[in-house]
Amino acid sequence: MTETGWYVYGVVDGDRVLDDPAGRVHVVSNGRIAAVAASVDLSEFDELPDRLNDEEWLEAKARDHESVLRAAAAGGPVVPLRFGAVYRRQEDVVQLLDERADELVADLDRVRGHVELGVKGFVARKRLEDSLASDRSAAGAATPGRAYLERRRAEREVEDDASAIVADAARSAHARLLERAVTGVLNRPHPRELTGRAEEMFLNAAYLVPAGDRSLHAEVDALTRAYAPLALSFEVTGPWPPYNFVGESSREEVAS
Amino acid sequence: MSILERQPLQHDVTLLELVDRVLNKGVVLNGDITLSVAGVDLVYVGLRVLLSSVGTLDRLQQEAA
Repeated sequence: MTETGWYVYGVVDGDRVLDDPAGRVHVVSNGRIAAVAASVDLSEFDELPDRLNDEEWLEAKARDHESVLRAAAAGGPVVPLRFGAVYRRQEDVVQLLDERADELVADLDRVRGHVELGVKGFVARKRLEDSLASDRSAAGAATPGRAYLERRRAEREVEDDASAIVADAARSAHARLLERAVTGVLNRPHPRELTGRAEEMFLNAAYLVPAGDRSLHAEVDALTRAYAPLALSFEVTGPWPPYNFVGESSREEVAS
Repeated sequence: MSILERQPLQHDVTLLELVDRVLNKGVVLNGDITLSVAGVDLVYVGLRVLLSSVGTLDRLQQEAA
């Protein structure tokens, strides 16, 4: 026999109606707030550690989570839940809404009318270092041994200079982008093993901006133009449901 | 086989970003790690371990091995 549960994607205002032609996604309301939920076969979540390393499973689940939240966000504020909140019964979902109502309402109000944009910064480090090296004067050295030592020292200095430039660019870009946003967070850049890109990611940020406001995009374009000579580039992703601006951590941040 | 060995996410930064958001961000309704559904009303399916970073997938995979 198949055991089913309720997978909760996110939380919306209590009076929301969702249009899901497939009839799969439901709104479970306690009056004040509502969970966006779907009935799932619990066996889908068996052997979770293995499943999370199953590319197709993970991609399908992540895309489902995202597409339901995205649809919900189109009609009003949504508080994204982290993947994997599954309840046995609808009554359990309602109880959860009751218990966490105050903080979920605060989250809804914070993100109402806003979207999340991601900004990534990339550096073609080799190109940056090459351009720094070519800027240095190539002074002639007396002996081959001395020339070698000086070359090595110069290389280290170029690497240090490049790192300082990248760190400064990350700070400066974040400060400029924050001026175009309600708030923002810095996340850890993804390693190249995961991005598969030749450039190295040095900035992985998210910003909460008014829906439809393009000024952050314009600032990213300006940053890209300004930093192009240093082999740095910036990209915007989104709009996303406001994953980075709900829950415990975002409240702490706002309070601080 | 770990996700890192197969590098399924490369060439698609948006998917990587998506997975990072879906697994790392958002409100956590219950911090308990519950891989079994037996006898519990709330099954927070296990993911608190998961992820201060995408790299945790690899650690999780190693722990599971």
